[in-house]
Amino acid sequence: MQEEPRTKPPMVKVTVKAGLASAPQVREVEIPQDDIEPWDLDSWAKFRHMGKPLARFEAPLKVTGRAKYTYDVKLPGMLYGRMIGAAIPAGEVVSVDTSRAEALPGVKAVWTAEQKIIRFAGQDVAAVAAVSPQVAEDAARLVKVTYKERPFTPELRAAMKPDAPLVYADAENPAGRDVPHQGNVAGPRPSRRGGDGRGDVEKALGEADATIEASYYCPVHTHSCLETHGVVASWEGDQLTIHASTQGIFAVREGVADALGIDRKNVRVFCEHMGGGFGSKLGPSATGSAFSVVACRLAKMAGAPVRLMLDRQQEQLCTGNAPSALITVKAGAKKDGTLTAVHYVSHGSAGISPGAGTAGPASSLYTGNPNFKAEEYDVFTNAGPSAPLRAPGHSQGAFGLESAIDELADKLGIDPLEFRKKNESSPVRRAQYDPGAKAIGWERRNQKPGDMSTGQWGTLPPTRKRGLGVANGNWYVFANENTGAQVKVHRDGSVEVFTGCQDIGSGFRTAMAIVAAEELGLDPSGVTIRLGDTQFPQGPASGGSTTTNSVAPAVRLAANHARAQVLALAAPMLGVKPEELSAADGKIFVAASPDRAVGFKQAAAKMSGEVIDAVARRPKQYEPVRHDLAGTQFAEVEVDTDTGNVRVVKMVSVNDCGLPVNPLTTESQIIGAMIQGASWALLENRILDANVGTMVNPNLEWYKILTPSDMFEAQVILTPIANLANNTSTAGIGEPPIVPTLAAIANAVYNATGVRVRELPLTPDRVLTALSQARRA
Amino acid sequence: MARKRPRGEDESAQFAFSRRSFLKTAGVGAAASTVVGVAATATSAPVVLGPDAVSLTLKVNGTAQKVTVEPRVTLLEALRDHLDLTGAKLVCDRGSCGGCTVLLDGEPIDSCLMLAADAEGHEVTTVEGLGSPDHLSPVQRAFVEKDAMQCGFCTPGFVVAATALLAKNPRPSVEQMKEGLAGNLCRCGTYGRIFEAVQAAARAKRG
Repeated sequence: MQEEPRTKPPMVKVTVKAGLASAPQVREVEIPQDDIEPWDLDSWAKFRHMGKPLARFEAPLKVTGRAKYTYDVKLPGMLYGRMIGAAIPAGEVVSVDTSRAEALPGVKAVWTAEQKIIRFAGQDVAAVAAVSPQVAEDAARLVKVTYKERPFTPELRAAMKPDAPLVYADAENPAGRDVPHQGNVAGPRPSRRGGDGRGDVEKALGEADATIEASYYCPVHTHSCLETHGVVASWEGDQLTIHASTQGIFAVREGVADALGIDRKNVRVFCEHMGGGFGSKLGPSATGSAFSVVACRLAKMAGAPVRLMLDRQQEQLCTGNAPSALITVKAGAKKDGTLTAVHYVSHGSAGISPGAGTAGPASSLYTGNPNFKAEEYDVFTNAGPSAPLRAPGHSQGAFGLESAIDELADKLGIDPLEFRKKNESSPVRRAQYDPGAKAIGWERRNQKPGDMSTGQWGTLPPTRKRGLGVANGNWYVFANENTGAQVKVHRDGSVEVFTGCQDIGSGFRTAMAIVAAEELGLDPSGVTIRLGDTQFPQGPASGGSTTTNSVAPAVRLAANHARAQVLALAAPMLGVKPEELSAADGKIFVAASPDRAVGFKQAAAKMSGEVIDAVARRPKQYEPVRHDLAGTQFAEVEVDTDTGNVRVVKMVSVNDCGLPVNPLTTESQIIGAMIQGASWALLENRILDANVGTMVNPNLEWYKILTPSDMFEAQVILTPIANLANNTSTAGIGEPPIVPTLAAIANAVYNATGVRVRELPLTPDRVLTALSQARRA
Repeated sequence: MARKRPRGEDESAQFAFSRRSFLKTAGVGAAASTVVGVAATATSAPVVLGPDAVSLTLKVNGTAQKVTVEPRVTLLEALRDHLDLTGAKLVCDRGSCGGCTVLLDGEPIDSCLMLAADAEGHEVTTVEGLGSPDHLSPVQRAFVEKDAMQCGFCTPGFVVAATALLAKNPRPSVEQMKEGLAGNLCRCGTYGRIFEAVQAAARAKRG
């Protein structure tokens, strides 16, 4: 499936029933002539397997420890690689003495980096490969690195000061020549999606009945994938095989082949199971390390396979993170709650990399507001480069915007939910508010924030304050059209689907079996999914909530081609024309008289060869009903005013999810996003020591993530929509549900206490400080 | 995390950082007796193992198996790198995530914090020993049905911890599950599903 310029294919018009299931609209869509009639709301009513919960196929392997991750791959004669990262945050590598490491028995290869300038602690310096993990660790300790240190600045707010040490000299600034920069600050970049904004913000703020201005700070969140980044590399002559814990096997193939200067055809990448990515595993290695390439070099030098997994500390330092952000919002509204102005300014730090951008939600929520301006600045710090994390920039941005919207509503004395409804521009979200409000019991909230007597809470100790919050989120309908799929029907009737995509843990594998089964009229258990191999038709990276809606249409189309061939075999058996036939429940039958049927297997047995082999490319995206994925979330929290501890009691997430292929795994992803978001809001904070510039908590002990004991009641409400952007009307769901979570929780804390905590995480120190400041004021 | 140390009242600070280097040449028997209270060797003279590889017999999933490892090799490394039992995972490398949980004489422990040598004489059960894809244990079956996993990397640890929890408490409340599974971390966010699975397994076991 090589990329080639795609000319617009001949199009045909079809009539479909589209949009919200609760408000269907008959609509004409233009689809490519070589595509098939898309699934719409009418199809949804008839589905045998689509939309029905199904346990994921790989689950028995995962629960018994048999699923083989990259970390579990063991090849004959395999060596263990280990990266060595810079111990200082800024400076230069003067020398690397590897002689003692090389002399250690069991050490088979040593690599040193060409890059001598150090800009963050943990940057690649050297690597070793040895016969055991223990010897590799010993060898790493024997590598002696001499540095020339330079002043550094690891924290966003300190780095913004005019006298802060420079991360980049002027000429090296990676923000781009067209972006103004001063010191470590580069910008403003025009908002990526908001363009130059609209209207006259300053004028509108001057004319508004009520305005607010506030700043919000969101800390760096590290992905903390439980399987650290890593690969197993092995050479056979000029053929290179890589097992990678990755979200993009083709990205690994491309990146490694280019770095090594070898043909892509000679590199094959596998990923059968992978232990979490969240955006940090989209590249060939990681944003702050080239470990994949290093592992391949070590394997070449040693003449043996090398498994190189980062350790937990390295994972925290160099594999990416979600940028920190300091967001200032000015907003204004009329007395009646009409939003009239938003000026959104964000200073984000993606460490040494540009592009911290957090304005996405600001520019795509409340689009009816006539006066809008967003400015984004990058602040360089001596910290590992960021990586996309579930809806990049959007959780931070929604925390800023949706906190400000709450403050504005409060100032006007308007219920924050009513304020949002009044200014809502999305018909989908408009349909989401009431079910969400009902599920959380919105009527229980404190009418007067902080005053429990104005809410409905039953009996609680006086130091326990409860409150409810709401916040919105958004994401976009993206798809990767450079996607293919292959369906094989064997003569015994067994079916395989091949996709060069990987299952990040979303349940992708099972979803594709459901799609193929629906089209072929089989049970999903009869379809085997082969994935995670660059020899298969190209698949997209698992990112941006694009996987399902990129691959499913190609799988369906390939399955449809295979189905046509099986129907053609069945037609003479039933004495009818193929077009009179249909397929369901493992049978092929005459549509007009379903009793006249043959088994799928009987028909397949008539094929002349051994296999029906159907390949399809993902058809071009249609003009969808909606270009965005709407969502809203509600949170109930309890704040202990003695200890400052914040506990999430319940969350409700309402999400547009297209036509959900497998509601079981769809809901799991949404619950997971709420948990990851709650973890960010309440606990997570990468702390870089201001004095030495290294990470204070590069582990999972002091870098706190949510534990089972912090778990809350999590409720999911799906808003199925036949969006008609592709022949399956599927959508992605990985990103949208983490966007509103931070703000929903922060807004609930305000409703509980009457005190606004504008800096995350909502740890006891911050909460108690805010409470005592409020008491003094 | 005390729950992970079956005889945890005697947690020496020594042990906390000893796993790689301290025991490299030291008396592993003596250290073992401090840490896990192996009564048989506690009164005898220290047994010095290493630094070279030593032969150990580990009883894993009901079968006695010989491994030859350096004394500093952890139980987790012995299971994974020498016995090809890769269900237990190294995640945090310091006993804060439960990804490496196995049962030692029926009690859940972090196998990254125990030396393989210290596991001699004990019954080790890994997630592979609890069931196979064709013969799932009730806990494993419930995890499958309730979708109590996403990427699945933490799942073996949770399955083992949940099995140990149900062995002690056949009817855990939500609060008891929170307590009983508090030593395990998941990044995909499956805790809610895991609670559903544990309660479903409890119901299935009660019949």
